[in-house]
Amino acid sequence: MKNEMMNQMNRLVLAVLLRGLRVLYRSDDRVRAEMDSWRKGLTLKLVCGPGGAALAVRQDDACGVVQVRRAQRTDITMRFKSVSGAFQVLSGQVGISDAYARHLFALEGDIYQTMSFVRCVEYIEAYLFPGFMARRILREVPEKKLSSLRVYALAAVERVR
Amino acid sequence: MAGQRRQEKWLQPDRDGKESGCGRAAGNGDGRQMTPYFEFTNPTKLCSGKGAVDNLAYELQILGVQHPMILSDAVLEKIGTLRVVLQALGDRKIGRIFTDIPRDSSVEVVNRIAQEYRDYGCDGIVALGGGSVLDTAKGVRLLIGQGSDNLLDLMGCECLPQGEHIPFLAIPTTAGTGSEATAVAVIRNTERNIKMEYISQQLMPDVAILDARMTQTLPPRITASTGMDTLCHAIEAYSCMQKNPLSDAYAVAAIELVRGNLMKAVCCGRSRKARLAMANASFLAGAAFSNSMVGVVHAVGHALGGVCHIAHGDAMNILLPAGMIFNRKVCREEYAGLLLYLAGPEVYVQTPKEKRADRAITEVLRLRRRLHQLTGLPLTLKEAGVDPAKFPEVAGVALNDGAVIVNPRQVTYESVIRILEMCYGE
Ligand SMILES: [Fe+2]
Repeated sequence: MKNEMMNQMNRLVLAVLLRGLRVLYRSDDRVRAEMDSWRKGLTLKLVCGPGGAALAVRQDDACGVVQVRRAQRTDITMRFKSVSGAFQVLSGQVGISDAYARHLFALEGDIYQTMSFVRCVEYIEAYLFPGFMARRILREVPEKKLSSLRVYALAAVERVR
Repeated sequence: MAGQRRQEKWLQPDRDGKESGCGRAAGNGDGRQMTPYFEFTNPTKLCSGKGAVDNLAYELQILGVQHPMILSDAVLEKIGTLRVVLQALGDRKIGRIFTDIPRDSSVEVVNRIAQEYRDYGCDGIVALGGGSVLDTAKGVRLLIGQGSDNLLDLMGCECLPQGEHIPFLAIPTTAGTGSEATAVAVIRNTERNIKMEYISQQLMPDVAILDARMTQTLPPRITASTGMDTLCHAIEAYSCMQKNPLSDAYAVAAIELVRGNLMKAVCCGRSRKARLAMANASFLAGAAFSNSMVGVVHAVGHALGGVCHIAHGDAMNILLPAGMIFNRKVCREEYAGLLLYLAGPEVYVQTPKEKRADRAITEVLRLRRRLHQLTGLPLTLKEAGVDPAKFPEVAGVALNDGAVIVNPRQVTYESVIRILEMCYGE
């Protein structure tokens, strides 16, 4: 697949990820507990390869996270080394823990605080990817508190601006 | 006897009954598949064996160091180990000797030493000590190399650009942490009561010097404790998600050396052969886990260190069998394979294939028991004086340790509590 196509896909999945985080903050108490443990105003950035899509968010008491535009320096930055590496993760071929094991990304910031974010991503992976994919990329598939279809529906109508 | 019964009870099948084939990485009879991508790095020059320390002056010269900063601790100064190293320097100048490094070094200590490094115009670091001194030296090197004055600004994993090259030589005085061979430094954050992990290639020493004279005076109790840390590095490296053919080779070589030499080093500390073998085991296991990472045993161990101030090796000794039992579900084949190195070829071939993983855990339990009889090394958290009321806090900290991300089995709050309860020993 061409880099540009992967870039587009990454951008799309990042948008789903942002909405997913907010939806699950309201509807899954485990995700809520994780995000409530984040430091007030913690900023997080995902960068999908050099020149690739990026998403920056800030911890928010009401919605879990809000998107930050033009974030220069964030507390935690997960920087994928390549567009294709990010694509492997965002398209559900590789789980976040495997991505770490395969050195697909570098991490700037406190490893300790990142682990909670990693768990949130693993919850989202369980909802967003079909069962057979989730079982392949997660060490243990967490029980779903609502159907994936419902998460998708809620994410579709989620207002992020 | 009670201890023995308890340990055998541990080997019962997992409570949920399922023994393998449920984890994503579970064996299917053909061995776990090799990771589709791996990295391996170990640029450190190893000088190992008789008279290795005597080459220090030469190694400094090769690295162009004129005014080295010598980092060590008060005990090594007192018992004369530091003197051996200083003598090896001959007429070479020294920039600064700093021996005021506590057992549990912190961000503040690192920041302060970096300031002294600059004040005294040093141009290289020689670290002589155990894990704490070596990790402190790594922190100092990182700060100087990156031109920073606060270690908290440099947190992260594989994210720092190549800074200024600061020559760095490591001389371990325990055979355990393997810090002389790793890209990892664990440093305490006093404010948050946690041990922080730094992962960067720039933490790897240019030269590691292994010399039996450096560890000969180590008391049996610490020899045992640090030796179990080495074993733990090798076993976790061999079973973590990031394992690869090279880290495997280092890990099994380390385990063989531990099998042949740990008891000897504990019983006859003067044995140069056993001491050197253990120093090499420590280096090998360090290189292994630096490239494949460690898992749940270290995550919980770091948390116990941070919250309850348990010595790292003691925590490893207490937690290792429980951690193996927790991971057994998905690591049967790895553990079965390790039996060859843990117990030797006779035991390996005499043990039926399906019993090898459990036998490997039994071998670890046996080794622990012997070390306990010889040195009083604690087998349970109770003996180590851990208050069970702290378990929730320990579990919370452990979950956020970087090591859980590559543990072969998902680590949850409940599973950490179960491991802690199992290790409490009632
Ligand atoms: Fe360790």
